[in-house]
Amino acid sequence: MGEVAISIRGVSKIFRSGAARKTVEALKDINLDIYREEFLSIIGPSGCGKSTLLSIIAGLTEPSEGEIILKGGSNNSRRPNIGFVFQDPVLLPWKTVLENARFPLDIIGDRSKESLDNLAGLLEVAGLKGFESALPKELSGGMKQRVSIVRALSYNPEVLLMDEPFGALDALTRDKLNQVLLDIWNERKKTVVFITHGIDEAVFLSDRVVVMTPRPGKIHDVIEIGLPRPRTREVRESPDFLRYTKVLRDLLG
Amino acid sequence: MPSRAVQLEAQPPGPALNGNRRTLEGILTILLFILAIGGWKAYVVFKGVPEYLLPPPERVLDSLVELIVSGEVFKHLFVTLSEVIVGFVIGSIGGILAGYLLGRWRLVEEIFSPYILFAQTAPKIALIPLFVIWFGLGLTSKVVLIVSMTFFPVMVNTILGLRSIDTNVRNLLRILKATAWQRFISVELFASLPLIFAGLRLGMVQAVIGAIVAEWVSGKTGLGYLLVLGNMTYNSGLLIAAILLTTLLGIVTYMAVMAVENRVLYWHESKAKIGGQDV
Repeated sequence: MGEVAISIRGVSKIFRSGAARKTVEALKDINLDIYREEFLSIIGPSGCGKSTLLSIIAGLTEPSEGEIILKGGSNNSRRPNIGFVFQDPVLLPWKTVLENARFPLDIIGDRSKESLDNLAGLLEVAGLKGFESALPKELSGGMKQRVSIVRALSYNPEVLLMDEPFGALDALTRDKLNQVLLDIWNERKKTVVFITHGIDEAVFLSDRVVVMTPRPGKIHDVIEIGLPRPRTREVRESPDFLRYTKVLRDLLG
Repeated sequence: MPSRAVQLEAQPPGPALNGNRRTLEGILTILLFILAIGGWKAYVVFKGVPEYLLPPPERVLDSLVELIVSGEVFKHLFVTLSEVIVGFVIGSIGGILAGYLLGRWRLVEEIFSPYILFAQTAPKIALIPLFVIWFGLGLTSKVVLIVSMTFFPVMVNTILGLRSIDTNVRNLLRILKATAWQRFISVELFASLPLIFAGLRLGMVQAVIGAIVAEWVSGKTGLGYLLVLGNMTYNSGLLIAAILLTTLLGIVTYMAVMAVENRVLYWHESKAKIGGQDV
């Protein structure tokens, strides 16, 4: 598969809930290598710690034990080398679509033509062309999430972390955005870590699917998805696709 | 499951219907006003109510006209309005600044919170005599009262506004390695504006109350003074005219805050949608 982009080594996370002195073991001894330009999904029932794991990879949460090694990436300390897409779009309501998408570049202080052209290209791939000056409140949920994806990629990070980004959307919009995401991924070739509880979505998008089990959160199995790319509607309707979904469904029990 | 058509929401009325309805509503509102004035007049005439208790409506109108024609009203309005504006501006700026300090540093808030609770709940009006002793009978004592009444609602709402920023917005800022200044200028300031404006609206109502009450106690001019004058001279026409002017001032200043809010918060969900788009 090639070069390792993210190495998760012996990561555990224990949450202490204040007064009762109860501890919850959210993650136990997670070991995983994520390859460069790989599309990896992590699937599991709620409470299996998948979002916590993503938060640890993003550096938003400290692990209780173990470490995350992010390899490569820019040496520029002001330019983050991960992009994060939350379950909610988390757009700034007073900014237009373009201003929201450009927000990271403004924070980094990157006004180069190269970056702005790259951003315009992303907006186009995401189907947001013509909506640049719209405000978030004028957009549907699906459109907002597209903006959020473009924003995460605006500064061209190596890694894209996505925390159930389409979980709050209806099935039709979700299918559409899966396709948009693959279009972007085909064009930009990022390392994607995608958290989901949708089996179809995980199979359709991924190179590999990590299945987690709860209490304590552990890696149960890792499934390679050998479906051909580009993933089209025919792929989604093929017997192999169904076979993979069945395997995952059985694993998730 | 058998399918069935369910009317979930009433159809919004079309534009034509909407226009007609608005005209009708306008006519009814005016009719109601005429009815109320007529009822008032009839009550005074048929019951033979003495004028010092309840003057007929035309007496109130006379007083209003007299105040306007003599130019007297502008003097009083100007005094009260300047007190309100000066007090409101100082009080709100102070409230926003204090709110930011307290909202950002929990430690500061914890140290100050008992004093703030005390200062916030103390009826400020009880302090007027003290303010008069300290700052005299002029503008200053009144402005001080108005500042003290505007300050707290604005400060409390500013703190709330800062605290209500979505965790994931904070996470986004962390991922982007935003500096404290960038967090403030690009997110916190704007994100707390809706609640700050809620505080400003409350503060403006308080400011007008403060001005009237302060003038009532120690004024030589202003609408509050007019109230006292009407009261002392048993000139109920003047008294009611002054009450109307006070209400008018309250409405106009409140609308002014709303007008600024509508301009500044055009992006907020609470303001009308400009148009909708789908996926």
